[in-house]
Amino acid sequence: MSNKHNRPLSDVEIRVKALESLLVEKGLLDTEAVDALIDTYEHKVGPRNGARVVARAWVDADYKQRLLSDGTKAIAELGYTGLQGEDMVVIENTPDTHNVIVCTLCSCYPWPTLGLPPTWFKSAPYRSRVVSEPRAVLQEFGVSLPETVTVQVWDSTAELRYMVLPQRPSGTEGMSEDQLAALVTRDAMIGVATVQAPAK
Amino acid sequence: MNGIHDLGGMHGLGPIEFDQDPAPFHHDWERRVFGMFLPIFALGIYNLDELRHAIERMGAPAYLNTSYYEHWLHAYETMLVEKGTLTRAELEARCAQIARENA
Amino acid sequence: MPIGPEQALAIAVAGASARIELPVAALFKVGEQVRVRNINPPTHTRMPRYVRGKLGTIERDHGVFVFPDSHAAGLGEKPQHVYVVRFSARELWGPQAHAKDQLLIDLWDDYLEHASDV
Repeated sequence: MSNKHNRPLSDVEIRVKALESLLVEKGLLDTEAVDALIDTYEHKVGPRNGARVVARAWVDADYKQRLLSDGTKAIAELGYTGLQGEDMVVIENTPDTHNVIVCTLCSCYPWPTLGLPPTWFKSAPYRSRVVSEPRAVLQEFGVSLPETVTVQVWDSTAELRYMVLPQRPSGTEGMSEDQLAALVTRDAMIGVATVQAPAK
Repeated sequence: MNGIHDLGGMHGLGPIEFDQDPAPFHHDWERRVFGMFLPIFALGIYNLDELRHAIERMGAPAYLNTSYYEHWLHAYETMLVEKGTLTRAELEARCAQIARENA
Repeated sequence: MPIGPEQALAIAVAGASARIELPVAALFKVGEQVRVRNINPPTHTRMPRYVRGKLGTIERDHGVFVFPDSHAAGLGEKPQHVYVVRFSARELWGPQAHAKDQLLIDLWDDYLEHASDV
């Protein structure tokens, strides 16, 4: 790869180029495979996938039951499968219980439904604080929960990947599945946000 | 191992910094590091648990002071050298060559 | 031969599950009280220190998976059950934690012991 920059390369950039070029020369790496994967996870896989799963569960009670009892299979019905989503568990938020997901040990996250995780999810402050002071963390994200609600924090220590089925907000009756999906944010499926009905 | 990566419940790691830019990659080198994950993994040189452990062995100061994809880069370098696919000397020589060509 | 783009995308879609389809017996039952073992391995583990020695309840049995501790050490897959284990926030963090809050975490057979044994 030629240097198209006008500034010297940083140490980390040099190390990445060194690794990639050595592996290519040894016949161990095809740069087109690298390019294809970057394109897929940068542009094709993302939280719009999970939002469709949520919207389907909101409008179809049978689908919701399937989703809660076998997340992998139900999510695959919508065509979302694969790496870092091979064994999915979907957790439902209810009026009594608010769920939030973390991976304290690294950054485990359900790629097929939510894409790649945001930087804050992978970083030390969230990973350290959400397990021991979830209500304070949720408050910082703009979520205030009454004392009567139970908060459940799920630490993804194994190869199961978790996502939250957020509560459907009131004021969305009669909306189409596509319209509902458009309301569902990545943060709501991690559990650090709730879904808002559109302002009238 | 009872290492720095085991962050659950720790204090003093600072405030949560909400991403202003939701894009998954902020630099081109991060894209390359991400894109290399699966093709290198498919070579069958190491398993995912070994790869994670390589990150855990970075040492606490390095772990806290480097970014996420730099952890992955460190893990690839560590595993490929420990498993004999590459040598440190080869990596260093190539780095020196690239640095000269781009000075 | 390195994998090309088509093969890479096929692997991305298929994934690489750590689940093992073997009839390994579960050591614990849903609803049972368990204590996390007092172990502190210098090698790879997925048991965070914040649950070591704590008392919890088996919430769900996920089935049989690769055991990362042995797998990372080159000692094989050692297939065993992984459970969701429920802890109260106060059990983990003391009386200043919220009385209602819970922590649920995936833990393997080898990390757990029957609370009644201790």
